[in-house]
Amino acid sequence: MSIFLSLFRVIKFSFQNFFRNFWLSFITMTIFVLTLFTINAVIFMNVLAEAALESIEQKVEVSVYFEPDTSEDLVKSVQGYLMGLTQVRTVEFISEEDALQSFQERHKDNPVILSSLDEVDGNPFGHALVISAHSANDFPFILEALDTPEYEPFIKQKDYQDYETIIARINALAFRVRVGGFILAAFFSLIAVMIIFNTIRVAIYVYRDEIGIMKLVGANDWFVRGPFLVEALMYSLFATLVVVAFAFFGLDALGPWLATYFGDTDMSVINYFKDNALLIFGSQFLALSTLSILTTMFAMRRYLRV
Amino acid sequence: MSMIRLKNVTKFFKPDTTALKDVSLHIKPGEFVSIVGQSGSGKTTLAKLLFAEEGPTQGRVVIGDWDITNIRQHEIPVLRRQIGVVFQDYKLLSQKTVFENIAFALEVAGEKSSHISTVVPQVLKIVGLSNKRDRYPNQLSGGEKQRVSIARSLVHRPKIIVADEPTGNLDTIHAREIVELLKKINDFGTTVVLVTHDRDIVNALKKRVITIQHGKLVSDIEHGKYVLP
Repeated sequence: MSIFLSLFRVIKFSFQNFFRNFWLSFITMTIFVLTLFTINAVIFMNVLAEAALESIEQKVEVSVYFEPDTSEDLVKSVQGYLMGLTQVRTVEFISEEDALQSFQERHKDNPVILSSLDEVDGNPFGHALVISAHSANDFPFILEALDTPEYEPFIKQKDYQDYETIIARINALAFRVRVGGFILAAFFSLIAVMIIFNTIRVAIYVYRDEIGIMKLVGANDWFVRGPFLVEALMYSLFATLVVVAFAFFGLDALGPWLATYFGDTDMSVINYFKDNALLIFGSQFLALSTLSILTTMFAMRRYLRV
Repeated sequence: MSMIRLKNVTKFFKPDTTALKDVSLHIKPGEFVSIVGQSGSGKTTLAKLLFAEEGPTQGRVVIGDWDITNIRQHEIPVLRRQIGVVFQDYKLLSQKTVFENIAFALEVAGEKSSHISTVVPQVLKIVGLSNKRDRYPNQLSGGEKQRVSIARSLVHRPKIIVADEPTGNLDTIHAREIVELLKKINDFGTTVVLVTHDRDIVNALKKRVITIQHGKLVSDIEHGKYVLP
């Protein structure tokens, strides 16, 4: 007996089962697709949140304002000190003149604010440093590094609080998305298990005559069980292919919309899926087929007497 | 030398049914044996023991040189390729043609397509259905369906054919045709075990008759007749 010939016939019988019970197969596949959609939506949201965080982090700058009478040399030495820290990406020096000019430019339409400058004698601004870091999480360290007796008395203000809140909020949101997505994915996986169990149970019932005849004419055990296992594998494969198709068409369609909200971020999300397609969808196919084959084996053990 | 040997076979079904009680018999190769008895007498249980659909509670069942009393699950398909089985309800697949129904038995056994396309027309010729190979079961008469079933049982060239009430659903004319076909197969040297409660058929056959009553073998007569009321 040729193994390949038998395998070919097992696959042929699986296809026959699949199409003869088309609606049952369709519903099973739909649940599989929904399960994969949920999982991919979680991955998508996660990547999007990460990308948004990264995008914001790159825009986050902390300004350190010095007392008006602080010398330029001291501020430049602070700049050099900060540049020496590995966490720091850039440090821009803003002179007191530039600060004044920038203030005047910013409030040129507001004479009340501009007139307040006349109240004070001379330039009320001191020098400032604008610091950007590799990660927003580095800022507490960077700012703490400035709390030295050498520099601390000259520093008037450090503004970081607002960004800190935004980053904390995004982090919290990303965490909630992850937890919610995990619960949803687990829920759909459970439904998928129940559906595949029922599909195989119904298929065993529908094909009970055929199974009986197979046994009668001398079909061996795996020839009877094989088509059900291959069928379960087919559900997983078709569902994965449907999700892959939707994912790529969907991401391409979402591209312009994402661009309006996140700038270049959308490209990183789409690229993430494209670059890791084999890993993402391959592992999903493996997980889904393992789940469906185990469930099918359980259903056969319970309902199929060979 | 026996083709079939039952030695002190008892079959008990839970909770309290004894289908066969201490049955012993020998059937020689090439014999045509009718097993008769009223409904519920245990004759179908006896037939099922022969192709391992049931196992004996006590005693031994031997087919050829093979003691199948405690046959293992994976050995059953091997046994069933050596024993052709025919049932009253034909057990054909309605969505397959005559040819496909017969080929199915070879396909599940892993036979090559070239072998299938040689053997199936041969058995169709034996049962006289060569011209109906592309018909579906619902396009056939009862007698024709049973001939398809017999053709399917022949494809593995079995040493034994077990026919359990093969004429039960047929009119007299078709029933005689089926019995004639079984006789023809027997003439080729295949051992035939015919399980029936049809008096006329048994009497017309004039072959060996084993009578089962209430699970016991009550008579075993060469060239016998149907003796039950």
